[in-house]
Parts: sequence; structure tokens; C-alpha cells
Amino acid sequence: MFNLLLCSLAVFLGRLAALLCRLAGRDATSLPGCIALKVFPGLLRHLARGLNPIVIVTGTNGKTTTSNLLAQLLTAQGWQVVYNGEGANMPAGVATAMLKGAKAKGYGRAAVLEVDEGSLGIVLGQVPAHLVVVTNLLRDQLDRYHELEQLAASIKGALAQVPEARLLLNADDSLVASLGRGRKGVFYYGLERTPLSRTRPADVQEGHLCPSCRVPLEYAYYHYGHLGSYRCPRCDWARPETAFRAEDFLWDENGSSFHFVFNGGRIRLTSALPGVYNAYNVLTASSAGMLLGVEPSVIREVVKDFRPGRGRIEGFRLAGKKGVLVLVKNPVGMAEALRTVAGNRPAAYIVAINDLAADGRDVSWLWDVDLEPLLKSLYSRIICSGLRAWDMAVCLKYSGVSLEALKVIPDLESALREATREPVDNLIILCTYTNLALCRRLLKGMGAHSEAAYMPPLSRPA
Amino acid sequence: MKLHICHLYPDLLNLYGDRGNILVLYRRARWRGIAVEITGLSLGDPLDPKLYDLFFLGGGPDQEQGVAARDLLTKGPWLREAVEEGAAVLAICGGYQLFGRYYRTAGGNILPGLGLLPVYTEAGNRRLKGNIAIRAPRLGDPRPVVGFENHGGRTFLEGDGQAEPLGHVVFGFGNNGADGTEGCISGRVIGTYLHGPLLAKNPHLADYVLALALQKRYGEVPLAPLNDELEWEANENLLRRFGRGRRKGG
Repeated sequence: MFNLLLCSLAVFLGRLAALLCRLAGRDATSLPGCIALKVFPGLLRHLARGLNPIVIVTGTNGKTTTSNLLAQLLTAQGWQVVYNGEGANMPAGVATAMLKGAKAKGYGRAAVLEVDEGSLGIVLGQVPAHLVVVTNLLRDQLDRYHELEQLAASIKGALAQVPEARLLLNADDSLVASLGRGRKGVFYYGLERTPLSRTRPADVQEGHLCPSCRVPLEYAYYHYGHLGSYRCPRCDWARPETAFRAEDFLWDENGSSFHFVFNGGRIRLTSALPGVYNAYNVLTASSAGMLLGVEPSVIREVVKDFRPGRGRIEGFRLAGKKGVLVLVKNPVGMAEALRTVAGNRPAAYIVAINDLAADGRDVSWLWDVDLEPLLKSLYSRIICSGLRAWDMAVCLKYSGVSLEALKVIPDLESALREATREPVDNLIILCTYTNLALCRRLLKGMGAHSEAAYMPPLSRPA
Repeated sequence: MKLHICHLYPDLLNLYGDRGNILVLYRRARWRGIAVEITGLSLGDPLDPKLYDLFFLGGGPDQEQGVAARDLLTKGPWLREAVEEGAAVLAICGGYQLFGRYYRTAGGNILPGLGLLPVYTEAGNRRLKGNIAIRAPRLGDPRPVVGFENHGGRTFLEGDGQAEPLGHVVFGFGNNGADGTEGCISGRVIGTYLHGPLLAKNPHLADYVLALALQKRYGEVPLAPLNDELEWEANENLLRRFGRGRRKGG
């Protein structure tokens, strides 16, 4: 009885906080849930009642884009969908999304929740997920998550709390695929070899040891990082059979497309999102959609019209220049972002690196980024900004950027003003998490106009 | 003049931008007209002790480090011979632990190390992580060495601290978070917990390591000064932000 009262109070206070935030003109993505969880820690279990299916999306990269696309797929299929589309993926953000969606009543209520890989245990302890999707496990914020194998072990432990849940796993990531060993109801998806696939590994590898034998896996090809087609030279561990796969991946000025192949079907999906990593996002969301009964024709239409969320390669115009803003947060993500946006057009760059808690305190990862696409591009100047501007500048200096082309301006606003004075038509801004909102606000203040998804210039394949 | 660097287990021990150190050594040598050859050796590769002037070993995830550790023991006799021949060693984080006498795990198992550094390591419960600065008098430059540390192990200098640490903690944890020492230096072998691209923000340490490596073939080589403005600015920036009001042991 007492619990019930406390729970009602928590929901009331959380929704009051959400209302006050809205009146104050702020979008609250975590605060209401944070308050409500303080009042009643068991709140998630209560809010999860009546939601079916509940889909949890976790992994290092691609959570936000994948879960947003999946939410749109389910919406188009006629569901009312509760989701945390802004990427607030710790328990407070999950609770906020569920509080906001608590009003919708009754039939056809689904939830698509993006959950931080470090928070999965807490969330799955309370939320009876029906489907858990794991995108990939890449090196990210080592000071928070420690090592990949440890992270995989903690995810495995979290998944053990929901033995009935179906799993949708990335077959191309050996660490992710190994999460399915010994479980029932596991589905794998994968991207077949593309013209961009490499046969040589990236300079820095991780997660490429056999989960049983601890010997390095043999790869037929790599997409990026340790993702690709692998087999163990000693035991029978190999990339699992895929229930869903992307074949014939193409990338041109209209975006990217591939054949989506599933049990008994094959449709061509065309998306405005650039890059191999977005092909994964589209493939992952479409596979989850198929598992939940979304019609192939609905998938095709929704994917075609889908646009990325904030900071996931955003286009804008500023002072007569064409600009693009990209969130970077780990080596593979930053390398892939550079492969996507660094092209043949002369551009000025801003690389704004912070080391606050949400960015990761340790910036050693900058040295693991494959900077080749940037070094080979036509840059007029590279301006380093943020709290770790000097670290970035030193890294670029040793990577081969001349001192004349480098500039260090820790203050982001001054860096933006300086960049607009460069005699080029393109401006490319890479920001870590805590610089992103600030950068967007500054751009708005300087009169930038937002554009739809950015289309990369054609400069492939590497 | 040519420098031969051996990067041990570049595919396994590469956790925190470790390859940055190789890049820094390479550039700083090249800017002075010294040729550099870098060889990566991994599992099962034989090691010719006469061939190399400098061995570099980084940090790795537990699994990878375990695999490398077993292989490293088979390379042990060659490495010992190489050090006796005058080769220098820079071992970081996991590599530092492997170059000590042993690592005692949380379960009490003793994993033998190479014993080329007079240190031993015990598992700790809490990870020691954060920005760190140390004073390293050996470098002959009063400016501190700065970096980031993130380790579960507690390393102790043998003989009740008789062995020579690389430096003394200004802020951060160091070897074990208790005795104010950081790293170890013994002859031409250096071990430290300051991980990742350690040499990038510490040009004095980078040149010290370069000079150690060149000694094997060429004796004392005067290293021409370079323009290190950016590097020192990065070094001072870290001190300014994290050095204020913080004491060792944090």
C-alpha cells in the first residue's frame, strides 16, 4: 500500500517536473525521471506494465539512430510508441521517456528504449524486455567501461535477468555474437562484404580473440574496427548464420542502399543516411521491425523518409558556407565520421574535444583514430577547440599536419568565428558530446540555418 | 644513423592510444635526420636480441594481456639478452607489470613476470584512474611528466622502495596510491602507469627515451632542440586544470 502511494507520488512529481520544464521552455530528457526515481526506485517496473512489446537497444554506436528508426517503423505499423529519442539513455532518461508516455492508454502500446551499455543491468532488472538488440561493442570511454570483454561479460549478466527475451545480435561483431551462445530465441543480422570492406585490419584492434580459445580470429574481411567475417582457426567459433542480412551495399549521391534479405524475402532499402555505419543502423532497425511484424512495404517507405537525429551528421548553412556538424565519441566512430564527411571539397575543420564525464575523462583514444581521411582531404585549416584543444593539436601535429595549418582556439565561439573567415565554402565541425549542444546554440546565435541530412561528396572508395 | 624499434604485441597491447608513443618517437627521430625502422612482433614471432635498440610494450585488456604474458615468457631469455646488450625498454601499464617480478591476482595466484624491473604487483579492488603528474629528476628537466592512469594493480618497488622510481607523484595515484612513487627505472628499462600517448605531452621524456635507445649503437648523441611549443602548452594546460589544490593520493 505504502509502495503504491510512493509510486503514485513519484509519477505525479515526475510529470509535474516535465510540465514545469516544458513551461520553462527547456526540453527535459532526464530530470523528471531522475526526480521520480529518487522518490520511488522501483518505478521502472511499474511504468513497464501494459507496454508490449518492450524493445531495448544497447551497444556502443548506433543506439540512437537505430532506436529512433525502429520507433518510427512501429509507429507506421500502427503502434503507440514510448521511446527516448533524444538519446538520454541512463535509467533517469529511460524513466523520463516512460513517464511522458504513461498517458497513452491501452491497446498497442510499445516501448523502444535506448539503454546505455553500463545501465543495462539496472534497466533489465526491472523492465521485462521482450526483445533486446545489441548493435556493437567498440572501444569507448575506457575510464567508464574498462575493457570490452568486461563490458561483454556485464551485458551477458544483465541479459540473464530476462531469459525469455529474444535477442537480436550483430553477427559481424564476435563479442556481440558470443552473447547469444547458450541462449534460445537468438537472431543474428549482418552486413555482407561491401566495396568498402578491407582485408587488412585497422591499426588498432580489439575484441578479435576467440571467446573460447583466446587465439586471434581469422578474418575474410573487415567493415571497420573488429567488425567483419571471422572464424577461429582452432575451434568451430565463426560468424553465425544470419537471419537478416544486407547485401549489395551501394553508396552514391542519393544516399545508400542495400538488399535487405530475410526469411523468404528480399527488398531494396534506400536511405538518405550516408556511410557503412548507417547501413548497420538501417539493417538493425529493419531486422527488429521484421521480428515484431512490421510489413516489408512499411519498412521500405519509412527507411526512405527517415532523417537522422541531432548531431548525427547535421547539415547547416552559415555565412554563405555549407556546414556539417558531427558528434564524435570514440575511435571507430570518429574514423567512420571522417570517412563520411572528409571529401574532395576544400574545407575548414573544427575539432572540439572535451573531457568531461559524459565525454570520457581520458582522451588517449584520440591517438587511436584513423585520421587518414582527414589528412588526405583538402583542408585549409584545422582549428582545435574545447578543453583538450592542445591534446588534439599535438596529435594532429604528429600525424603530419603542418604547424601553419593548425590553430588552437580553446573557446568554441572564437573558433567558429575564425573558421567562417577561412577562404573555403565548406565547414566541418567534429564535437564530443558536451560540446555539441553548445556548438548548436552558438551556430544558431550566429544565424546558421539547419538543413536536412547532409549528403557527402563522392570520394570513395578508400 | 638509424634507430631500430621493436613494438611488442601491437595487435594485443594497444588499449589507450599506445601507438601514439611509437609515432612520437618516429617523428622526433626523423625531424633530427635519424632513420627509423619499426618492427611489430607478436605471438610466436622469434626475437633477435641483437637487432633492436628499443622495445616498446603497451597496455592491454585482461584477455589480451594474458595471452601476451604467456608468449612474453617464451621471449624472456631473448629480451634479457637484448637488455644486457644495451637495448632500452619502455613498458607501459600492463607491459610495466609484465616486466616486473610477478603479478599476484585477486585470487592469490602468482603470475611470473620477466623480472627486468625490480617491482612486483598485487591486485587491488578499486581502479586507480585519473589525470596524473609526476616529477622525474632523471630527465634533467624540472618540468613534470603528465598523463592519465587507469590501473587495478598496485605496484611496489622492491627492497622497501630501494629501487628507483621513474618519478614522484605531484597529483594522482602512481604505483600504488600510497607511497608517492610512480613507475620504475632500472638501467635502460623504464616502466610506468602513465598510459596511452605518454610521450606526446612530455617531450623531455620522449627525448630521454630516444637518447637511451641511441646509446646502444652510437654512445652519447646530442639531440638538436625542436619546436615543442604545442607539446609544452598541452603539458602546462593539464597542470593548470588539475594541479590546483590537489594532493597526491587524490
